[in-house]
Amino acid sequence: MKEKINQLIEQATQRIKESQDVNSINDLKVQYLGKAGEITALLKGMKDVPNEQKPEIGKYVNKARDTITDLIQAKMNELQQKAMNAKMMKEQIDITYDEKDATRGSLHPCTLVIDEVLDIFTGMGFTVANGPEIEMDKFNFQLLNIPKDHPSRDMQDTFYAGEDLLLRTQTSAVQARTMINTKPPIKLVCPGKVYRPDYDATHSPMFQQIEGLVVDKHVTLCDLKGLLELFAQKLFNEKTKVRFRPSYFPFTEPSVEVDVTCSVCHGVGCRICKGTGWIEILGAGVVNPKVLDSCGIDSTKYSGLAFGLGVERIAMIKYGIPDIRILFENDSRFLKSFK
Amino acid sequence: MKVSLKWLKDFVDIDVDLQTLADKMVSVGLEIEEIIDASQNMKNVVLGRIDKLEKHPDSDHLQICQINVGKPELIQIVTGAQNVHEGDLVPVALHNSLLPTGQEIKKGKLRGVDSFGMLCSGEELKLTEQDYEGASVYGIMIMNKETAPLGTDLNEILGNTDVVLDVGVTANRPDCNSILGIAREVATVLNKPLKMPDISFTPTKGVKVEDIVKVNVHDKELCPRYMAGAVTNIKIAPSPEFIQERLKSVGLRPINNIVDITNFVLIEIGQPMHAFDQDFLAKHEINVRRAENGEKIVTLDEKENILNDTMLVIADGEKPACMAGIMGGMNSGIKDTTKTVVFESAKFARDNIRRTARALNLHSDSSFRFERGIDFDSQRLGLYRALHLIQELKCGDIAEGIIDELAKELKPQVIETTLDAINSILGIEVPADVVSKILNGLQIETKIEGNKVTCVAPLFRDDIENANDIAEEVIRYYGYDKVENGTLAGCSHTQGGLNIEQKLQKMVKEICVSNGYSETLTYSFISPKAYDQLRLEEGNELRNYITLLNPLGEDMSVMRTTLAYSMLNSLASNYLKNIKQAKLFEIANVYLPKALPLTELPFERQNLVIGSYGANESFYTIKAVVMAILEKYQINGVTIKRAEIPYLHLGKSACIYKGNMLLGYVGEVHPEVARSFDVKDRMYIAELNLELVNKVASYKYKFEEIGKFPPIERDIAVVVKEELPVGDLLGSIKKSSGSVLKEAKVFDIYRNPVTVGLNKKSVAINMVFRLPDKTLTDEEIAQKMDKIISNLKSEFDATLRQ
Repeated sequence: MKEKINQLIEQATQRIKESQDVNSINDLKVQYLGKAGEITALLKGMKDVPNEQKPEIGKYVNKARDTITDLIQAKMNELQQKAMNAKMMKEQIDITYDEKDATRGSLHPCTLVIDEVLDIFTGMGFTVANGPEIEMDKFNFQLLNIPKDHPSRDMQDTFYAGEDLLLRTQTSAVQARTMINTKPPIKLVCPGKVYRPDYDATHSPMFQQIEGLVVDKHVTLCDLKGLLELFAQKLFNEKTKVRFRPSYFPFTEPSVEVDVTCSVCHGVGCRICKGTGWIEILGAGVVNPKVLDSCGIDSTKYSGLAFGLGVERIAMIKYGIPDIRILFENDSRFLKSFK
Repeated sequence: MKVSLKWLKDFVDIDVDLQTLADKMVSVGLEIEEIIDASQNMKNVVLGRIDKLEKHPDSDHLQICQINVGKPELIQIVTGAQNVHEGDLVPVALHNSLLPTGQEIKKGKLRGVDSFGMLCSGEELKLTEQDYEGASVYGIMIMNKETAPLGTDLNEILGNTDVVLDVGVTANRPDCNSILGIAREVATVLNKPLKMPDISFTPTKGVKVEDIVKVNVHDKELCPRYMAGAVTNIKIAPSPEFIQERLKSVGLRPINNIVDITNFVLIEIGQPMHAFDQDFLAKHEINVRRAENGEKIVTLDEKENILNDTMLVIADGEKPACMAGIMGGMNSGIKDTTKTVVFESAKFARDNIRRTARALNLHSDSSFRFERGIDFDSQRLGLYRALHLIQELKCGDIAEGIIDELAKELKPQVIETTLDAINSILGIEVPADVVSKILNGLQIETKIEGNKVTCVAPLFRDDIENANDIAEEVIRYYGYDKVENGTLAGCSHTQGGLNIEQKLQKMVKEICVSNGYSETLTYSFISPKAYDQLRLEEGNELRNYITLLNPLGEDMSVMRTTLAYSMLNSLASNYLKNIKQAKLFEIANVYLPKALPLTELPFERQNLVIGSYGANESFYTIKAVVMAILEKYQINGVTIKRAEIPYLHLGKSACIYKGNMLLGYVGEVHPEVARSFDVKDRMYIAELNLELVNKVASYKYKFEEIGKFPPIERDIAVVVKEELPVGDLLGSIKKSSGSVLKEAKVFDIYRNPVTVGLNKKSVAINMVFRLPDKTLTDEEIAQKMDKIISNLKSEFDATLRQ
C-alpha cells in the first residue's frame, strides 16, 4: 500500500512539473483530487486496510494528498504569474523615451547664495530686514559716519536720483534705519541690491550685498571672529578658517577685511586664491560708537558688530564663475545649470 | 601712494627682505597693491663698445660686431642696424638676457655667423627721449656720452635700482599719503627708530620775508593756517640727481630746482606747496580770500574757470593768482628769469577744496591731498624742509623770518579711556605694557595709571577720536591673529527667522521653479526708449519714471516702473541665441515716484514677472502658474477681465482682479512688440504686484468638514455662442447652486458647425455636490440641476446638448 502511494506521489510530482498551462493543471487536480480522483480512491479504499494499520496508512494517505495539493497550488501560482507577466510585457513601452517634460527651472546662483547665507544666520537667531533701494543720503552715508564732502565718500561712487536721494551704495543703509527704529538686542541680516557706477569683469553697476548687524551689551571683536568663522565653515566647509586684516570703513572701528582659507586648496595655494591660500570674502568690524550714538543707541551701554559681503563675489567663488557679467546675461542654459 | 624704497630708507633702517616688509605693512593695514621693480623687467643688458665692425660675408645689410663689455674676450654680435660705427657705446643684450618688451635674447646664427646677443634700440628697451637722450633714434641707441665702465648693467645707468611699493592708503589715514607717514608706520612695525628729515637752515641776514610779501588771510575758516617763506637771488637750474631720481621713481617729471623742491616736499612730507615768483604778485601781496561771483582765472592747464564766492583763491593785489590748494594760475609759476620766490605752505579746509575741485573739475596731486586732509603740523615741516633743500642745493638766499597766519591755537586731541574699555572692545586682554609700547611707538603719547589710560594724539593723527580708535591702533600692532573666536556669550536670545512675506516669496519662487521657470537677474535701470518699445503712450502712468542724474549711459538711465521690458529683453536675448524655448521669472522692485522731479523717497514695491516662449507655451500655461501662485497666497474669488495693455495681444490678455484691486496681468505679447525685439515666436508674459497680493492674501489654512457622505457628480454639456467666456457659465452655475456645489469645472470644449452650429461651442462642465451631514437625494440634485440649466438658458441662451 505504502509503495503504491509513493509511486502515486512520484508520478504526480513529475506530471505537475511537466504541465505548462493552467488547463493541464486543472486536469491533474481532477485526476488526483477530484471526486473520482486517485487520492480520493485511496481514501475510499481505507476500509479494506487492516485495523491495526489504519492509523499509519491513513496518515500516509493524508500526507500524500497534502503534498499533491501543495504542488498543484504552487504550480498554479507560478503559471498565473507567468501569464500575467506575459500580458504586461505585451503592453510594454519604450522606457528610454521622454514624452512628458516635468523638468524644474532653477533659482539664480545669487539667490542660492542668499538663501544659504540667510538660512545660516536665521538659524542663529537673526531676522531678515529689508530697506529701500532708492535711499536718503542720511541713511546711506551721514548716519554711518560718512559726512558730506568727506574723503571716505570716494570709496563709493554713487548714482544720484535727486537732491540727497541716491541709489544705495551699500546695504549698511538698512543698519541705520533699523537702529533708529528698534531697540537692542538687534540681530539682523539684510540682503539687497546696491548700486555703484563701476562696470568691468569684476564690477557690475548693480550688485547684491548681505549686511549683518548685532547690537547688544558686551559685543566684542572676538564675537565677530567666532561668528564669521562659524558662518564660513557652514558656507564653505567645516575646515575653513578665518583671518582678519586691518582695514577702514567709516562705520566700524576697528575695521577688518575678512579672508577665509581657500575652499579649493584648503590654504595650500591654487589658481582660485592666486597662490595665497586665502580668499577675501567680506568686510567687517566693531560698530563705531559714533554710529550707535547718531542712531539713538547709547554707546556707553551697547556695542555692536557689523559685516557685509558681496553676493556675486561669493557666487563667483563658490561656482567658479570667471566674469560677473555672466550673472546678468540670463542665458537660460547658464541658469539651468543651477537646477 | 607710490613709495620708493630708497626714499623710505632715509627715515627708517629696513633690515628685512622686501617680501617680509610687504607682509608686515599689510599686517598693519597698509595694503600693498603692487611691488614695482623695474630692474626685473630688464636683465643682462650691459653697456658695450663696438671695437671692430665687418661686413657679413653673405649679406648686404648685416654687420658683424666685436663688442667690448669690459672683459678680456670680445663678444661677437651680428646686427642689421646701419647707424653703428666702430668706437660707439651701445646697449648690449647678452646671451640669456631679458628685454622690457618681454623678449628673451639667446645666442644664435645669422646667415651662418654666430651671434652671442643683440644690440638694442631705444624702442626695444622701452625708452623715450625723455628717459635717455638718443633713445628715439631709428636704429641702435648710441650712448657715446656715457662715462660708466664698459659692462655696467643698464639698470644702473638708467636708475632702475629702486623698488617702488604701491601702497593703498585708506581714507582715514591721510598722513600716510607721504613717505614720512609710511616710514612712521614701518618704523613701528619693524621696531626701529624713525629718523626725521633734516629741516635746519640758516637765513641770510638783511632781507626779511615781510619786505618781500605781505600775506592777508581774509577767510580763516577756509584757510586755518598759512605759512610763507621767501628766497632771493634764485638761480634756476636742473635739480641734482638724487632729487630727479626720486621724483622719477614716483612718476613725477623733474622740471627745475624750485619746482622740484615743492614736489619733493609734497611726496616726502605730504604737504602741498606753491612757489610764487615775487614779480608776478601785484603789489607783492598775497590775499587768501573767497572768489567774487563771476570772477575768472585761467589755470595752469590753460582752462578758464568761472568762480563763485564758495571758492577760495590766493590773490595778489589785483587778481586771483591761484586756486587755493588746487592749481596755480597761468604765468604764476617759476620762470627761468625768476629772481625771488615766495613759498606757500598752507592748510585749506578739506571739504571746501573737495567741493571746489569737483565743481571746477580741476584735480592735482595737491588737491588730492587737501581733499583727504592735511594735518596742522605739516605746514611748518614742509616749509622748513623746502628751505633746507634750498640751502643744500645752493639755489638762493633764504630771507629772514617766516610768516605764520594761524587761525587758532593748536591743541592735540586728548582721549581718556580705560584698559577695560579697550579690552572689552577687543574681547581679549592686552597687557598694559604692550598697550603703552604700541601707542607710544606710534607717537600717541600714552600714560597708563592702573586702569586709566590717557592718550594724546599727535597733530598728524586727527583720525583718533575715541576708545575704539585707540583699540584699533592696539590690535593693529598687537596682531589680529591674537583675536580669539567668541560666541556672543554676552548677548540675549533672539527669535530670528523669516517673516511671512519672506517665506511666501520663497514659496512663489519654488512654484515658478517647479513649473520649469528659471530665475533671472536684470538691472533695475533701463533705457527710457523701453517705454516706446512697449507702445506705452504719453501720459501712461508707467512713464512716470525716475531718471538718474548721473547714469552710466542712456541704456541704464531710468528706474523701471514695470518688469515687462526687462523680461522681454531676457526672453529675446535667449531667442536670438537660437534657444528653442525659455521659461523665465524674476522678483524685483519697481520704483514709483510720488512726484517728479524726485524730492522724496518713491514707492518701491516688489513685482513678480514670468515670461516664456517655445512650442509648448501658451496663454493658458502661463496663466496656470499665476493661478497656482494666487492659490498659494490663499486668494480665492479673483476676477479675470480682458486686458487693454499696449504691449499685450488684445485678444489674448487678461487682467486679474480681487474685488476692484488689479493684482496683475497675463497675456501674449503684442505682435508688434515681439517684432521690435526681433522675436518671431509668440512670447507670453505675466506680471503680479506682490505687495497687493500680500495685502489680499488670507495666509490662513482653514479646516473644512469633509464628512463621510459621498459626493454626487453631474456632467452637462451646453451649447453657447462662441464668444461667451466659460468663466461666465461657471459663475452662473455657482450662483445658482450655493454652498452645496463644491466644484465646477470645464473639461471639454467642442466645436462643429454641423452638429453644434456655426459660431457656437459645446462646453462640457463637471459639477461636484456634497453636504457634510447627509447624502443628497436624487430629487435634491435634480432640483439644483433644473435651476442651473434654466438660469444658463435665460442668461446665455444656452441649450442643453444631449
